[in-house]
Amino acid sequence: MKKGLTIGHLYPDLLNLYGDRGNIQCLRKRLEWRGYEADVLEFTLDDKIDFNRLDLVLLGGGSDREQMIVCKKLRDIRKDFSAFVEDGGAVLAVCGGYQLLGHYYDTQEGRIEGLSLVDLYTEQGSPRLISNEVIIGPDFSMPIVGFENHGGRTFIGENRPLGQVKFGFGNNGQDGQEGVLYRNVVGTYLHGPLLPKNPHVCDYLLSRALERKYGEASLEPLDDTQEEEANRSIVKRFAGGNA
Amino acid sequence: MGVRTSAAIAAAKIMSAACRLIGKQGVTYAGKLAMRIDPGILKKLSGQVEKKILVVCGTNGKTTTNNLLCAALEGEGNRVVCNRTGSNMLMGVAAAFVLAADLRGRLRADYACIEIDEASAVRVFPHMKPDLMILTNLFRDQLDRYGEIDLTMEKLSDAIKLVPDLEIAVNADDPLCTWLAQESGRKTVTFGISRQVYTEQSSREIREGQFCKCCGTALEYSFYHYSQMGDYRCPKCGFARPPIRYDAAEVSLSDGLAFTVDGRRISVDYRGFYNIYNILAAYAGATEAGEALPHLDGVLKGYDPAFGRNELFSIGGARVLLNLAKNPAGFNQNISSVMTDTSPKDLIIVINDNAQDGTDVSWLWDVDFDRLADESVRSVTVSGIRGRDMQLRLKYVDIPSTLEESVEEAIRKRLADGCGNLYVLVNYTALYHTHQILKEMEKRK
Repeated sequence: MKKGLTIGHLYPDLLNLYGDRGNIQCLRKRLEWRGYEADVLEFTLDDKIDFNRLDLVLLGGGSDREQMIVCKKLRDIRKDFSAFVEDGGAVLAVCGGYQLLGHYYDTQEGRIEGLSLVDLYTEQGSPRLISNEVIIGPDFSMPIVGFENHGGRTFIGENRPLGQVKFGFGNNGQDGQEGVLYRNVVGTYLHGPLLPKNPHVCDYLLSRALERKYGEASLEPLDDTQEEEANRSIVKRFAGGNA
Repeated sequence: MGVRTSAAIAAAKIMSAACRLIGKQGVTYAGKLAMRIDPGILKKLSGQVEKKILVVCGTNGKTTTNNLLCAALEGEGNRVVCNRTGSNMLMGVAAAFVLAADLRGRLRADYACIEIDEASAVRVFPHMKPDLMILTNLFRDQLDRYGEIDLTMEKLSDAIKLVPDLEIAVNADDPLCTWLAQESGRKTVTFGISRQVYTEQSSREIREGQFCKCCGTALEYSFYHYSQMGDYRCPKCGFARPPIRYDAAEVSLSDGLAFTVDGRRISVDYRGFYNIYNILAAYAGATEAGEALPHLDGVLKGYDPAFGRNELFSIGGARVLLNLAKNPAGFNQNISSVMTDTSPKDLIIVINDNAQDGTDVSWLWDVDFDRLADESVRSVTVSGIRGRDMQLRLKYVDIPSTLEESVEEAIRKRLADGCGNLYVLVNYTALYHTHQILKEMEKRK
């Protein structure tokens, strides 16, 4: 049987604000180009999610209103989702999805309860942090670039960040950190979408998921000239010699 | 009117003329200058409109709808003030009035047709009280500037509150616009397309407002026209598409567009399903304003699409069509209209990320570019500040493309080696520049 991954896209009908389809498309293509199968399952709020079937989970961003709708549902899946994460399941959570990874997001309209999958929390701040963003992280060979647009200020405590901010605001505009890395979970405010211009982050997630499933992951290199040029042009334009 | 008003008008006119001399549009500067010299000028001038002030709001189709509305009213012999170029924030609106006034501060106008940026309406309405608002559609657009669509709706709602006797002509097929109009409590008249036109319904298209604005339940649709436009109802609270007063019936999409409204057959030779809404909205607006429009057919036949909206150029025997595409809904509609042309074609896509475009280009991934994977599309060339993002977007649906740094170079090359049928799709700040390049080339050949 052909090797492959099953990717669960959580609530794309609600959390689809910043081109999240691009992240799914990137994961899918970079598997297929290497001869793996990619099976993408889209879940709506009424679907029952069997995390045992999933290798990789994507939780995207939505407006505060939509996040509020989603958070009511999260209580039902919290236990299974948490077991998935603790077992080394790969997760990409972007923007609103990133905030939902934590304990809570305090907004003016009240508290949005999170999944408590990662020890972090978010508070609403003003103004919104809107910018292109360039970060560098010790786990990644090339800078990570994207766009951030968030009112929430996220604090990750003792957790490892995805990277250090070279341009832009990051988690909270104060501590110079962006995103979080916890087990095989990547949480970040970076969209754009994140993965196409950061193929190294995409391959990081795919490797982790393949390792968990098959015990080893050998991802053959792809021709990433266009991806790398697109990444480099953002780094050069915004961070200059800073990254 | 006073010395101050005259000085403001004179200064703005000089500024506008000077800008034109150096090849800039300059409308915004002219408006800014006039408002600085006389902050009350927009109020004074808009108060002189004799019949009605009509405004067009919504994400897509504002400029086309507004210009059609203006042409329809002018076709009946009215004098109309119009912000034709699409400068639709406070300063652009001020400029439209100032440049139409004489130096004594007198405006001779029966109507004003003004398109207004969704987020700017709340700044414009303290100066200018419209009689009728045409609300076309609400889509995600420039999330970095407007924020989430909910915020845009709040701002529009605040603006409507400033005008107690405003009447709203609303696109009933859009649940977001309809909800906004109903919530406002203002007198409302509807336009729309009551029957299903497309038999195939794409399930992947990004649709806004899938959840009932009243109660949060998922809306049910008996069909979609495109995006979230269609026949919807909420299974829980009863919110639903209202009855349609101005209904486009017997829609035909072959060979241009045609439909019947109020028993009159309207047909035009330009394409794009969305243009049905644009024409219909203009028709509804002008009719509500009290015009019978006996000359409408002639007006529509002689109508030149607005600047860069399906604008046709002929360059050395090649047919070049320039079209603005600035957000997913608009882009998807553009792709539909490109693909109804089944003959061989080359395509150039120019994407910038300047402030007016939205600095966040993630919306490119919400556009269904996979529909361009067709043998009739001979080549795709990408350009603009975010040409590389565009190239990646296409790569991930297996469509190869060529990157050209310079738009002019891209056009020149595809005219030289292409098949003589070129489509140029550009976003906002790329439009003016690309338009000038094409105009120049057309003149030279």
